[in-house]
Amino acid sequence: MTIFHFFNCAILTFGPHAVYYSATPLSEYDTIGTSIRAAVVYLITALVKLVCLATFLKVSESDSFDPYQELLKALIGFIDVAGLYFALTQLAHRNISQNHKFQAVGLGWAFADSVLHRLAPLWVGARGLEFTWDYILQGLEANANLVLSISLAALGSLMWLRKNKPKTLIPIIYACAGIVATMPSITSYLRQGLGWHFPKVVGFELFTSLVMAFISWQLFAACQRPSN
Amino acid sequence: MAKLQKSQSSVLVEPVYSSVITLLIIVTACVELCDAVTVVDVYRLVQYDLGGVPFGSRLAALNHHAASSLFSSSGAAADLSRTVLILPVRELNLTFIREYIGERKPLGGLLLLLPPVFSPEHTDIGGGADHDSAKDLVKEVLIEVERLLIHANIPYPVYFGFEDEHVNAMLADIKKNDATGQPATATTGGYKLVVAAPEPRKIASPTIANIQGWLPGLKADGDSNQLPTIAVVASYDTFGAAPALSVGSDSNGSGVVALLEIARLFSILYSNPKTRGRYNLLFALTSGGPYNYNGTHKWLHSLDQRLRETIDYAICLNSIGSSSDELWIHVSKPPENAYIKQIFEGFSSVSEELGLKVGLKHKKINISNPRVAWEHEQFSRLRVTAATLSELSVAPDFLEATGGLSDNRNYVNEALIRKSVKLVAESLARHIYGQQGKNIDIFADDSNLSLNPSYIRSWLEFLSTTPRMAPLLSKNDPLIMALKKELADHTVEVNIQQEVLDGMFTFYDSTSGRLHIYQVASVTFDLLLLLVLGSYLIMLFSFLVIITRGLDDLISLFRRPTSRKVKTA
Repeated sequence: MTIFHFFNCAILTFGPHAVYYSATPLSEYDTIGTSIRAAVVYLITALVKLVCLATFLKVSESDSFDPYQELLKALIGFIDVAGLYFALTQLAHRNISQNHKFQAVGLGWAFADSVLHRLAPLWVGARGLEFTWDYILQGLEANANLVLSISLAALGSLMWLRKNKPKTLIPIIYACAGIVATMPSITSYLRQGLGWHFPKVVGFELFTSLVMAFISWQLFAACQRPSN
Repeated sequence: MAKLQKSQSSVLVEPVYSSVITLLIIVTACVELCDAVTVVDVYRLVQYDLGGVPFGSRLAALNHHAASSLFSSSGAAADLSRTVLILPVRELNLTFIREYIGERKPLGGLLLLLPPVFSPEHTDIGGGADHDSAKDLVKEVLIEVERLLIHANIPYPVYFGFEDEHVNAMLADIKKNDATGQPATATTGGYKLVVAAPEPRKIASPTIANIQGWLPGLKADGDSNQLPTIAVVASYDTFGAAPALSVGSDSNGSGVVALLEIARLFSILYSNPKTRGRYNLLFALTSGGPYNYNGTHKWLHSLDQRLRETIDYAICLNSIGSSSDELWIHVSKPPENAYIKQIFEGFSSVSEELGLKVGLKHKKINISNPRVAWEHEQFSRLRVTAATLSELSVAPDFLEATGGLSDNRNYVNEALIRKSVKLVAESLARHIYGQQGKNIDIFADDSNLSLNPSYIRSWLEFLSTTPRMAPLLSKNDPLIMALKKELADHTVEVNIQQEVLDGMFTFYDSTSGRLHIYQVASVTFDLLLLLVLGSYLIMLFSFLVIITRGLDDLISLFRRPTSRKVKTA
């Protein structure tokens, strides 16, 4: 029955990506190529991040929260933003609207992240006889991550691709992008600094991801209006 | 409808996605790990054949759900054949288990939990003398269970484990589940116990090793062969319900310790020509004790005939470390026999000085009976005068009092071993130096010939942590090498005699294993989870379609195929 559980967890972890692709107009415009390219960019970014982490970070003996190390980690985390910038602006895309481009990039980004970070633990752990809630929570975390990635991509496309946006909104956009980009550091602080348990952290992630998605949606809509 | 499903699924799972997923699954398929909530050491019940008749636990591999009582699943007796029963020995109902095993009812497996005091590693009690009644009660129950299990043929795996916090927590959980009337099966979840063990294999030609050493006496002008010999013998191997737990501190670790200490004391005396006696001393550590003293039999028959005739008498040491201050000298010859009288008087005069009580027990040998209850009977059968010093007042039955589960360090009284050593050594010395009946103290406490309590303690500790079932010991087992080296430190001409164990015994390996305890979810839970996830994904799909394309699109998504059908029709 453990294979069954594995499939359940896999559905929870990877299902939303497929649903998102098929339900939104992404599938109609066949943007899979963009998503795959974004995933490749994610892979390269992850490699660069790993090299940076290995070079600049000390291996901590204890699990304690070290602010300086965490700050460094957060800075290295901004390599993600650079990768996303590259994926959004530098890659040659076929003529798809900006509207679909950021969604495709965000989706590919989140899917690559899920595969890299969650598939192997899932395969190893969820098929064991032992039952834990961890893999279900991990699947929920993957959902939150999908929402966050798409939000970040939306904000990124607003920052870098849209030229005529209302001046008053620019600081808000940058602030939101900053918050979304530092989410991994915030969760790691909650987990290690404050000693939150995994279910609580996942709940927080789900909540903030929905809030950030709503805000970035509103921003996107607000930017859309004057141009049209 | 089929068309609808097809189009739906092809939309839901893009071919590229699915191929990526399958590729990744194949890549990671080689990673096979499992983690368990708890892994504990468990020790399997002995498995042996006696004359082709199978005894003990006949299986080693275990993979079943756990239950805590025989009667939890009301009426569903067949269910238990796929259930591991966990029973703490502390609260064991002996009559039930006797019936259950006697009627050979089916069971997936049996895990008996022993109190930690029976663990060989458990040595926080220094003296080991503090017996409380609860502890003794558990010991009695354990002896009963052991007797029951050893002589039964059990077609399922039986393991012994020790109570610890993890196991107790699991047991409490299982009991709670059982109380609510939910039998642990695949549909309700619970705990799953797994011991991955290969099929037990027969041990090919089990060997037994006897170790002997000499302390030659001072030759008069004549031949050394003329000197009489006194033999001190103790069997060192054990047999118990769990071979990996049969440390036998009392039976017969205490005898081995006493023999080594006596050898050490006399080696000091014999190293000086002035105090070297006119007797040869022969020390023998024999194996095969539980199997009618088969090793002693082999060893005696391999001794030179002339040498055997020089043996004046032999003292066998057996279980002298626990119970009260009462010891028995068991003999096969009638007490009126001059030699026996001499031995007994020697012992009893010393014992009075030590505050011990020594009694004499006579038990005739029945030559036609293959059962040899005492080690000295092997000597007596060859007409060598011999006696066994033991705390047991009656001869034990076959495969009993051979160092089983309950026989460990915490039940052995070190002070009593010291007294017994003194008793044997002193009476031997008085006999050797012709000081019978005189009140002298050769091994006085403050002399350089005094007993060494730390030597006794360290050997007792070593033997109490070393399982010693003879068929499971290899030829060059560290234990045998250690005993040989120790004997060689005190005596000369030490040699090991390797023999094949006689009789109709066949033993099997796989005596211990690691028990993995998994907390498992039920199938019902997984089904429910699948339902919840499915509705979540459908809701997500509908939501996304509505906000990106509008409600009409969603409705048309479901309508389209039917309208096509209408068109084709």
